[in-house]
Amino acid sequence: MKYHVPHASVVGQWNTGGNIFLLTLSCPEIAAEARPGQFAHLRCGNTLDPLLRRPLSIFQAEAQKGLLSFCYQVVGKGTQLLSKLQAGAQVDVMGPLGRGFDTEISGKRIGLVGGGMGIAPLVFLGRMLARHNQVQGFWGARTKELLPPLADQFPSGDSGVEVACGFPYLVATEDGSAGRQGLVTGLLEEWLEQEPFDRLYACGPRPMLAAVHRLAQARGIPLQVSLEAVMACGVGACLGCTCEKGPGDGGAGAEGTGNPVHRVRHQDAPNSHAAAETSAGSLAAEKRLKVCQDGPVFWAEEVRWDGE
Amino acid sequence: MENKVDLTVELGGLKLKNPVMTASGTFAFGEAYEDFFSPAELGALVVKGVTLEPRQGNPGPRLVETPAGLLNAIGLENPGVEEVIRTYLPPLSRYDVPVIVNIAGNTYAEYGEVAARLSKCPVVKALEVNISCPNVKEGGMAFGSHPDTAAEVIRVVKASTGLPVIAKLSPNVTDIVEMAQAVEEAGADALSLINTLLGMAIDIKQKRPALANVTGGLSGPAVKPIALRMVWQVARKVKIPLVGMGGILTGEDALEFIMAGATAVAIGTGQFVNPRCCVDVITGIKKYCEEKGVKNIGELRGVAWRNADS
Repeated sequence: MKYHVPHASVVGQWNTGGNIFLLTLSCPEIAAEARPGQFAHLRCGNTLDPLLRRPLSIFQAEAQKGLLSFCYQVVGKGTQLLSKLQAGAQVDVMGPLGRGFDTEISGKRIGLVGGGMGIAPLVFLGRMLARHNQVQGFWGARTKELLPPLADQFPSGDSGVEVACGFPYLVATEDGSAGRQGLVTGLLEEWLEQEPFDRLYACGPRPMLAAVHRLAQARGIPLQVSLEAVMACGVGACLGCTCEKGPGDGGAGAEGTGNPVHRVRHQDAPNSHAAAETSAGSLAAEKRLKVCQDGPVFWAEEVRWDGE
Repeated sequence: MENKVDLTVELGGLKLKNPVMTASGTFAFGEAYEDFFSPAELGALVVKGVTLEPRQGNPGPRLVETPAGLLNAIGLENPGVEEVIRTYLPPLSRYDVPVIVNIAGNTYAEYGEVAARLSKCPVVKALEVNISCPNVKEGGMAFGSHPDTAAEVIRVVKASTGLPVIAKLSPNVTDIVEMAQAVEEAGADALSLINTLLGMAIDIKQKRPALANVTGGLSGPAVKPIALRMVWQVARKVKIPLVGMGGILTGEDALEFIMAGATAVAIGTGQFVNPRCCVDVITGIKKYCEEKGVKNIGELRGVAWRNADS
């Protein structure tokens, strides 16, 4: 069930450094049903500019307390306005929207790979999965200030939401200001040389997702990715956010009729012979995925990567 | 004060319980907003544009927000008429609401074929003919930017169906009245106006057009004054009823269109802003009527014209 809560109250907002904010709302309806990887669609004020809502991935949902929090970076007019909201203000929210991560897994070794704001939904996911699995996080950002609040740097008292990863993680920053200097995918690759994972989850910039996909595919590790897209409706109505479908459905790809164009594209890509072999053919490839409704979380094979 | 307001309107032979419809392409096939309100509350449900063959639509980015507006270049992505008839339309019979299907084509014959196939589908109560999509090379604005081709599309569709035919006009023309009269003459039972206005945005960081399609259609409150002006201009030049649309967010916005001469209104981009926009507009219209002692919504139709004359 999706809810429209026109007057959710702001419990608190905290600038975690740089232009990253943590916004906590009292919103029991959405908090009770929100799953890791889902998002909410927020209006940024009552005026006509900005007109559209902003999709924000859910950073934490506490059903008992009815609290819902978002970790976001100020990138434009809408998020700028959101960042000004103070405790007691009201905000118009829709949610929970989209398909979240698959959490039906236990007793497995799980790797979470997050880049920048992409870390936020993975913290939510990891806390849940860590109850029944062995979870390892890999967090990356350009610089320290662009990392969302993590356990060891986060005063939980003033936000109303307790945030602690509850599982180990490694950090990489491109400028070396926190953790290892370099890309998060470097950390992952080194880890994979020592120890495998049964499943990977990734959220972050597209090049990072593509790199994680290549690493996972080469080792046959199932991977779920969360995609980002510009959205208008957020509920599958406008088709503004659709993307091309990949060859698979997340499980075993069906042997298809084989659209030659589709095959050639896959053969151009490194490490993609498996994908080419399991192409579901032109019919399936013609359908597009709605990031807002079919996703934002997809199995990597559901997404078309081409040469990425 | 107890005051029962009659909101029913008649649109080209269709009886609607209230004048509020969805705008094609903003409501998918009726299910997207089901958690927020039932389509049964609407005057009519206008579903996504349908073509003979499936269409992938345009590459992304397909959307750009502009001040009080939205530019889109979806490119008529749809599963094709057969799949729509097989999968998407049958579930709509569970709502007590007239379903209107928007249609588009690359050729006159395609418009006729899509119309003929949809006419056999009992859930479909009218067709809205898209001769105004700015985002595809053929089938859209190419037909809708000249009165002769627009009229020919309507003639072909009329010859292929017994359903009421609503012509959706493009604002991207020199003379909207000439277009309206041409399609009326060709047999259109009603007019929808307006489709989106051709526009563009440039991403100055990337130094390139913000939409992959370069240009897109502008909708939202930014276009409302233009849409209203076009409804106003056409209202007294044709006899067939008008569906007014363009930037309606509230009951007050809808009332402006009705007072300019529209029989019904459609909500598009407003739904993206407020998922209950359609019902809020219905409530707003009803409240106004109750407060002003209006017993029948028809009393307000074109009232601004009459007052401007006097």
